[in-house]
Amino acid sequence: MKKKLLIVEDERNLCLLYREELTKAGYRVTAVTDAEAALEKMKKLKFDLIVTDIRMPGKNGIELITQVMALRKDIPIIINTAYQSYKHDFMTWAADAYVVKSASLDELKAKIKELIG
Amino acid sequence: MIERYNLFLHEFSQEESKELQLFSIIAQSFFQPFSLMDNLLVIMTALTAGPGLGFNRVMLFLTDGDSLKGEFWLGPASAEEAEAIWRVLSTPGIGYPEIIEHNRSLLTSATDTLTKRVKKLSYPLYKEQSLIPALTASARQMILVRDAQNEPAVDRRFAETIGTEEFLCIPLVSQKDVLGEFILDNAITKLSISSRDIELASICGLMASNYIYTAKLQKRIVDMKKVAAMGEMAMFVTHQLRNPLVTIGGFADQLLDPQTGQNKKKRNVQIIRSEIRRLEKILLRLSQFLRIDVREKVAVDVQDMLNLVQESVRPRISSRNISLDVEIEAGLRVILCDPTNVGEAVRNVLDNAIDAVGSEGHIDLRAYRQDADWAVIAVQDTGKGIPEAIKDKIFDSFVSTKEKGMGLGLAYVKRVVDACGGRIEVKSAAGKGTTFKLYFQTQPRERGTKS
Repeated sequence: MKKKLLIVEDERNLCLLYREELTKAGYRVTAVTDAEAALEKMKKLKFDLIVTDIRMPGKNGIELITQVMALRKDIPIIINTAYQSYKHDFMTWAADAYVVKSASLDELKAKIKELIG
Repeated sequence: MIERYNLFLHEFSQEESKELQLFSIIAQSFFQPFSLMDNLLVIMTALTAGPGLGFNRVMLFLTDGDSLKGEFWLGPASAEEAEAIWRVLSTPGIGYPEIIEHNRSLLTSATDTLTKRVKKLSYPLYKEQSLIPALTASARQMILVRDAQNEPAVDRRFAETIGTEEFLCIPLVSQKDVLGEFILDNAITKLSISSRDIELASICGLMASNYIYTAKLQKRIVDMKKVAAMGEMAMFVTHQLRNPLVTIGGFADQLLDPQTGQNKKKRNVQIIRSEIRRLEKILLRLSQFLRIDVREKVAVDVQDMLNLVQESVRPRISSRNISLDVEIEAGLRVILCDPTNVGEAVRNVLDNAIDAVGSEGHIDLRAYRQDADWAVIAVQDTGKGIPEAIKDKIFDSFVSTKEKGMGLGLAYVKRVVDACGGRIEVKSAAGKGTTFKLYFQTQPRERGTKS
């Protein structure tokens, strides 16, 4: 059974890139561009891991994490952001990994593998 | 029952309260939006004006790095000049405000002979600690010199400059630092400096120290704010650049993958191209924001300028159900720094209006004369209004409500309008719309040049 990933990324092109690359890496990928859509998807599917950006229009990544944790305490979460500086913010500690966006997706893939195989 | 008194007293009940009046004038200068030198000048005037402490002259040194440098010397250069000045000053109706005003004109005068002389003096604070004025500052004590010719602490150069035997040195210091020094004398009247003079002068010295210290603190705060703003900006730019770069890199990698099919490759190249264009746009916006050329203000025909502006936004409007009305008062001309920047600023405001209106609504672009001196360019929309939470911050850099906004648009508008000596008024009601009014000075009509 393929593991199911939920990607939350407001940039459409990046969203597309992640979907394609992580699908290629052997996952079943659902990619959405905002937090509300992510919460909707979570009601329908039991994901194995969530990758989310922080700065997004509407609900931001931190708010999303808080709500996700209320729904599913055990689900692994990876923060994937352009900012280094949120790393030491209190709420980002709730995530299982913090990845700074890079043109190479190796680190992101490695973290996903580490968390869910 | 309560009694009320004006905080700014101009007249005192007793005639002999000369000192009280003096300190009141100094204290009141704190409330004036003048520069440090202006405020120091008030104190120096108090030290020298006839009705005040009545010293003949006061020399001001300020710390510049590790040296005390001569800045300003207030007082008559000769007995004749003294007599002329004092005659004027004893005219009935001449009070402190008039004297201060007169002295202020000396501040900017390049021909003031005393100041010219004192500006040549500079004493290293630490290397020449045994010499006045550095001695006073490092000892943090007032020093009264009675016999300059025979005093080893007074070097030849200083003695020749001041040209009198007796003078009083008052250090201007903060808890930790040396800020400057006053040197007072009675070179013209040859009156001996009394212990009463010293006591009153010392209070003036402390007040001057306070001014300088506060001014230095303020400058440091401004500098720190600048650094903080730069940090914020660096972080913002990093983010703005990182997303397109990651996208470009990711899709470029796919191009190299032999498994990627032709169609996908073509699509990737298109994505890469659009992201590169986005990067270019980001850089353009940033550089436009970072260096606004404030060129000479020229009279610009508002009609011409706004015609160009409205043409540039027409394509954005025509694809939606938005009506744009343009109304320009005939023959109106305004003074601007340069039409390109102001045109661009108005376009920014219009762009915001279009975004706020969304798919359907109305925008008014008007230009009219407000009064004899001011003209207004107004943009009024029927859009969603500015959210209450950011109303105070709309002109800050990097504040945006838009998904892809950089938060530079209105910051740019404000900088341009400020550079033109204009101002901005904003009125906004949630759900009803927003009005931006940009005020610019009009061209003075046959009234000669205004200062």
